[in-house]
Amino acid sequence: MIAVRGLQKSFGTARVLRGIDLDIADGEVVALIGRSGCGKTTLLRCINSLEEYDTGEIRLDGEELWYRTTPDSARRRVSEGEARRMRQQMGIVFQQYNLFPHMSVLDNVLLGPRFAQRVSVAEAEALGRRLLARVGLEAKMSAYPAQLSGGQQQRVAIARALAMRPKVLLLDEITSALDPELVGEVEDVIRSLLSDRIMMVLVTHALGFAREVAHRIAYLADGAITELGSPPDILDRPKDPRLKEFLRRGR
Amino acid sequence: MPPGSLALLAQGAVVSLLLAAAAIVGGTLLAVLLATIAFSRFAAVRAVYRVYVYVVRGTPLLVLALLLFYAMPALDLRTGPYIAGTLVLIVYTGALFAEVFRGGVLAIPRPQWESARSLGLPPLAMFRKIVAPLVTRYTLPPYVNVCVMSVKASSVLSIISVWELTLAAREIIERTFAVFTILGLAAAFYFVMCFGIDRLGRLLERHLALKGFAGERA
Amino acid sequence: MNFARWVAIYGPTYLTGLGWTAVTAVGAACGALIWGCALLLIRLSAGRWGARGVDAYVQLFRNTPVLLPIYLIYFAFPMIGLPWPAVVCGGLALILQNGAYISEILRGSVNAIDRVQFDAARSIGLAPWSTFRKVVLPQVLVYSIPALGNQTVLLLKDTSLLSAISITELTMQAKLLTEQTGAAYEAFIVVALLYLLLVSGTEVLFRVTHRAVRWR
Repeated sequence: MIAVRGLQKSFGTARVLRGIDLDIADGEVVALIGRSGCGKTTLLRCINSLEEYDTGEIRLDGEELWYRTTPDSARRRVSEGEARRMRQQMGIVFQQYNLFPHMSVLDNVLLGPRFAQRVSVAEAEALGRRLLARVGLEAKMSAYPAQLSGGQQQRVAIARALAMRPKVLLLDEITSALDPELVGEVEDVIRSLLSDRIMMVLVTHALGFAREVAHRIAYLADGAITELGSPPDILDRPKDPRLKEFLRRGR
Repeated sequence: MPPGSLALLAQGAVVSLLLAAAAIVGGTLLAVLLATIAFSRFAAVRAVYRVYVYVVRGTPLLVLALLLFYAMPALDLRTGPYIAGTLVLIVYTGALFAEVFRGGVLAIPRPQWESARSLGLPPLAMFRKIVAPLVTRYTLPPYVNVCVMSVKASSVLSIISVWELTLAAREIIERTFAVFTILGLAAAFYFVMCFGIDRLGRLLERHLALKGFAGERA
Repeated sequence: MNFARWVAIYGPTYLTGLGWTAVTAVGAACGALIWGCALLLIRLSAGRWGARGVDAYVQLFRNTPVLLPIYLIYFAFPMIGLPWPAVVCGGLALILQNGAYISEILRGSVNAIDRVQFDAARSIGLAPWSTFRKVVLPQVLVYSIPALGNQTVLLLKDTSLLSAISITELTMQAKLLTEQTGAAYEAFIVVALLYLLLVSGTEVLFRVTHRAVRWR
């Protein structure tokens, strides 16, 4: 499980995250929604330390991530090696430009297991094929990213993230940059992952999809979680006026 | 055409090509080092890079060569102009290649960096499998450009008595006054070398692009 | 000897060199710009053969070092009955070389500027020369200012090669000073600094011009 406590972050003088508290149980899917600039993407990126946060802590299965509090109460960043190990427990998929264009689809998926986790070639390849089959792209194994559609690229990116056998999957608006007809195939893959009971945090604008797959939805405004609840609670019975406005506007 | 000139010019061309080759190899190695410095965490180290590039690009190659040649006692006429000349060329192309590499690194879209970091790749694997291949593909055209510039730059060394194609041509002209023929031939040699490098570069580009890499060049 | 004294004693020498460098650079830059525009015009209006001719010209100058045209004009012109001064020969060579690069820069800008503009101009009946002068050229020039700035810096540095034909610009002065005094270190460091100054000055000039013109 993931426990976020008191997360704060500023970019210069702008306070982007003002004290985030969030718990994610094993197998739970949490969707982060809110207007552009509310901090949802920053929060996601803090979880796997692509952004560094100023105060607060994040714990994965009890272990504090990214920083250690030294005996004299100072806050030190963990070593690069430690950070890499921690990152390997999470998978992330971005909005676009996920895949490395100079490698085949299979090589993209294998990259993590082979070079970060030192899995053998044979084992990694078997894993890769299995995952690609899972996302429906085993046939495209030898193709290059430039030859795939946007939706296919995102599916490969998901396979690549899963190849690391992560405890949590972080998804940053993975369908926002896709043509509408390609969105469905990506959403299908996410749906199929629900049975794996893997933790997921997804930042999304697709409220219908969030309603379907998320166990809970968090609405962020001005860097704080202003409402948190089940999809029906958040989407049908919003309490916060800003959330009501957000839902009314449809964005 | 004066007898023996064609052979002399050909020899000169070979020397020019060798000088350029040394500049390209040495310059590339130097540039990898420089590019690493350019992205250092420490502002002072990055400043060293900027000063180096500023000085090398803001001073004519000839002045750099003369500075090294006359003013550095360790590399004076006793050591021979070739060493000084090659060193100057390496210093020069090193700066140019470094800027090319730096541009290439900056051209990599941010999510690619972040994907590689998120996979928890150790630094060596990151460099070998991600940074080097991507930077190579992004920088091939400007890299080839600098290679061509190296060949042309070697002609400047003729002024500090490095015997290569231009100096060979000048010596023949001063003896025989066959200006048009000799310079025309010299131009032809340079043209073949430069144009050849350019074509080779294009071929390489196409070979790399064929593997489905869309490339981010406009 | 220390630098202050050195500069005080040899200041005038450097100034002469600076003067020659500046004059040849400015002269060649203007000439190259005009020649580059002329090449562009030929490319745009003389049909396929014009374009091919300009291409061949550009390729020739792109793939040969600038010392060759300098030597060619310097040695050959007296032989064909044009005993022009070295400065003119050198300047001409620089103009021919840089004109090629400038025409390529301008060509790139032409391709980058919206086709619609040209079609619009033609459809209101503007004759080709007027179209070129009033519609194409101004926009192309403005768009090209940064690249032209780069090229001018290269030209400025190339003036140092004129020392090979005994023109007394900065580099030549440094060489002469070295032979006179044996103090190579001081001589060339000062010259290097002067070049850096000239280069930075040119870059600033072009940046300022670009900003000023863009806000029209």
